[in-house]
Amino acid sequence: MPAPSEPSGHAELLALQSFLGSAFRRPRPIAQDAELSSAAAVHVAGNDRLTPAEQADIYRQQFWLRHFDSLAEDYPGLAALLGGDAFDDFVTAFLLASPPRRPSLRDLGEGIVAFAEGYPGFAREKRAAALEMVRYENAIVDVFDAADPPALDPAKIAALPEDAWERARIVLHPRLVRMRVQYPVHAFRIAAKEAAEAGEEAPAFPAPREVWLALFRRDLTVAYEELPAEAFALLEALSQGEPLVPACNRVAGSLGEAEAEALGEKIGPWFQQWTGWRWIVDVVL
Amino acid sequence: MEAPPLPARLGAPDLGVGVGLRIPHYEAVFAEGGGAGVDWFEIISDNFMVEGGLPMWNLARALERFRLVQHGVSLSIGSTDELDWDYLGKLKTLLQRTRSPWVSDHLCWGGAQGVLLHDLLPLPYTGAVVKHVAARARRVQDFLGVRLALENVSSYLTYTSSEMTEWEFVTAVAEEADCALLLDVNNIYVSSYNHAFDPNAYVDGVPHRRIVQIHLAGHTNKGKYILDTHSAPVIDPVWALYRRALTRTGPVSTLIEWDDDIPPFPELVAEAAKARAIRDEVCGARAL
Repeated sequence: MPAPSEPSGHAELLALQSFLGSAFRRPRPIAQDAELSSAAAVHVAGNDRLTPAEQADIYRQQFWLRHFDSLAEDYPGLAALLGGDAFDDFVTAFLLASPPRRPSLRDLGEGIVAFAEGYPGFAREKRAAALEMVRYENAIVDVFDAADPPALDPAKIAALPEDAWERARIVLHPRLVRMRVQYPVHAFRIAAKEAAEAGEEAPAFPAPREVWLALFRRDLTVAYEELPAEAFALLEALSQGEPLVPACNRVAGSLGEAEAEALGEKIGPWFQQWTGWRWIVDVVL
Repeated sequence: MEAPPLPARLGAPDLGVGVGLRIPHYEAVFAEGGGAGVDWFEIISDNFMVEGGLPMWNLARALERFRLVQHGVSLSIGSTDELDWDYLGKLKTLLQRTRSPWVSDHLCWGGAQGVLLHDLLPLPYTGAVVKHVAARARRVQDFLGVRLALENVSSYLTYTSSEMTEWEFVTAVAEEADCALLLDVNNIYVSSYNHAFDPNAYVDGVPHRRIVQIHLAGHTNKGKYILDTHSAPVIDPVWALYRRALTRTGPVSTLIEWDDDIPPFPELVAEAAKARAIRDEVCGARAL
């Protein structure tokens, strides 16, 4: 829909909004900056209780409170992992580098993973765990309210001839997130949330433990499963479009003889479970 | 020839007294008989402009049982940025689902040059800004196909460039846009304290037949200013403003907002009952 031509006064309004939009995002109080305070007084009237800078600063404080609260709610694991001051520093740096551009606070963390990957402020010993945590918590936000594709049609499966499985491609739920992590971020996040709710200190920094995780939605809530490494590898192969039988063969080929034999016994129950959790949404030939 | 007078509430229905539908109350609200004492619920549109999951499941069960009205926080009708048509498209899709009789958002700006502050920022009260906002409101209203109600915001600053009172500004925008108003009497009280004006003059000065909804809420007095926190019961001076507004509007859909330090649901329903008692006293009881 085309915008009509701008009426007179638009330039003044744009100048005012640009100035205040920038001033409200300053991390330090406006009154502490003499030049900014003077500029604020051009636009803001003040009154007998508050100077123009103090009036404008109410909105600046609200900007930081609102966005800190929102990110702390979406990234409680990262907050607990880093600790209060380090988390505040990270959030401040993120909001300065990536100011909000989407209407919903749900999307506030858009870009936070890429920002974290280039952020130099993480303590060296926490950096790897922090990056895994921010990826994990960012995925939770996406999985929480993602659309569900149509459920797998059992009649379609029943109608598949036996030999079709050799070339059948398994379609996974588009929001089934798979993550291989070196720290048990899922367990730490739950412990951190429970501690916060109980008013207790954050749990101790987690010891490294390699985990193959699947993140998905079960009964409307976000859930995770720790997977055996070979189940994770099979899901990865399927997600890349490899047909079922070749994918199974490839995973088996990476195992020892006894393990490969055991794999055959596991695949049936896995598929039953995965179908029940709606990880598999279609089978196509 | 003089134009005929506008119908009360611009012809919008009077839904009675409602409350904001908030997550901490879901268990109570969706229990058997849980909506007793509440005529309708207001939802924050922005919370349901997602693809699926729990929010949309809760919306579906709320629509099965209750009358819902949409209220938004991100329209940014006063911004100098182009209207966000992606946002408006999602809003329209949601409206088709909820069949909200009107859709409200705030008479404010929320960002500039592509950066959003997620706040309800006051506008300078000038003729040029009236024209700017009214033109945008007309476009939004035409696109959505539903009456747009603009809500007066609480404010913590005033502008050196303002040329008129806030209520003159609100009136001019509503008249020029031919849109509805959501009159937040708590916001009037908050701003009257912050900027030392007479809240009664505000209530008297707006176009009453354009008011389709009234908001009531609590706030936090910080001493030098009041912050609109929606975190406490409605105070007596705000109830008095509500009473005054009703004498001018007649019966109009009324909503209690409570968004922080949210009390148990029965406490919110009790606040709604206070509003209903005042409505009945001022406007006469009616069957819903």
